[in-house]
Amino acid sequence: MRRTRIARATWPQPSNGPHRVACHFCDTLHEAPAVPEGTAARCRRCGVVLYQNRPASLVRTTAFSLASLVLIGITHSFPFLVMKSNGLQTELSLYRAAHELIREGSVVIGCGVGVFTTVAPLVMAVGLLYVNAPLLWGRAAPGARVVARWTAHTEPWNMTEVFLLGVLVSLMKLGSMAELVFGVGFWAFAGLMVCMAAAVAGIDRNELWDRLEVADE
Amino acid sequence: MSDHLPKAIDEGLAGCHSCGKVSPAALGRCPRCGSSLHTRKPASVQRTVAYLLGATALYIPANLLPVMTMTEWGDVMEPTILEGMVEFWRREAYPIALVIFVASIMIPLIKIVALGWLCAAATGRVKPSPRVLGRIYWLTELLGRWSMVDIFVVSILVALVQFGTVMTVSPRSGALAFAGVVVLTMFAATSFDPRLLWDQLDLGENSDTIPPQTESE
Ligand SMILES: [Zn+2]
Ligand SMILES: [Zn+2]
Repeated sequence: MRRTRIARATWPQPSNGPHRVACHFCDTLHEAPAVPEGTAARCRRCGVVLYQNRPASLVRTTAFSLASLVLIGITHSFPFLVMKSNGLQTELSLYRAAHELIREGSVVIGCGVGVFTTVAPLVMAVGLLYVNAPLLWGRAAPGARVVARWTAHTEPWNMTEVFLLGVLVSLMKLGSMAELVFGVGFWAFAGLMVCMAAAVAGIDRNELWDRLEVADE
Repeated sequence: MSDHLPKAIDEGLAGCHSCGKVSPAALGRCPRCGSSLHTRKPASVQRTVAYLLGATALYIPANLLPVMTMTEWGDVMEPTILEGMVEFWRREAYPIALVIFVASIMIPLIKIVALGWLCAAATGRVKPSPRVLGRIYWLTELLGRWSMVDIFVVSILVALVQFGTVMTVSPRSGALAFAGVVVLTMFAATSFDPRLLWDQLDLGENSDTIPPQTESE
């Protein structure tokens, strides 16, 4: 943890120190010096990552959250899967996956599926973009702190990767009884999964909040 | 011990669970992001146990009740999660059968047992090594979401398989119980405070030299 080397590139630090960090896992208190780009500071007691300095963090997060937003648009405009059976044809879309459950009377699960696959990714993409893009110019958007908090709270409920596994399992289940064709929506959703993971991993929490604090000073 | 590392709680400080800033716990709210500030999550063990009991109670109907109704040319099938898995196994789709077995049957069970054991460790009833505890906690946070895959499969089948008299799928109450298990175990994992495990460890280490502190939340 204690480094004597001065970081080559670091993020701006707020003026009202002392800068300390408590391990979220074991509560050990550390001084929090800047670490070089691409490295992480680990807890001296339990070894958990305390914070890390991501290379080109703001640019990455902004770019990937913007890409996520575009992919969400595409995913909702094109079908995921098209199923043909006995001359009939049905389409799977994210909207239908939630809406058909609600129509069949399973309101709670339908809303859950809607939140996990549509609302949460949208909140994440918009939230990350709204907070990070103005920080590129050293500014904090109005209400950025509230948005940053809610974006972080939404993260565990974004289940794009799990839904994608669900699509694959369904494919195996139906493969024998019908003809199934992947649509553009499916590939856009797969891309969304990757971009969303990259956007979330793009910036460290401590860096984001230090930057927000500096922007308001 | 030779190198006793300071803990935030010993100095009356708390690391914000939302933005990471270390502030005096007496403030009540984080000055940077406005989240409520606690040295330890309030009533962490009690809340975790309550969620776990709920999840355990729901685990039984989740596995006994059918998750969907499949109607094919008048034939009605009402598979439970386990029967869905066995069906894949019978059709020699072993990898998918294994994925469902792990995601739907094993992970919720492992999560309930592991968190129950962590609660026992946090209250000093068992004394395992901290490395093991770290792995287990990390695992419960990482795996939980994947159990949702079967709910997504139901939602996808309900949306896709709508061929009137030929073949239809509709959701059943088992799916609701199952989604309840997943969501409750996710809440249980977030209510648990891993720092309690290290508090117990320190209590054990210090007990031979200095009298145990009467620390209470
Ligand atoms: Zn630690
Ligand atoms: Zn905070």
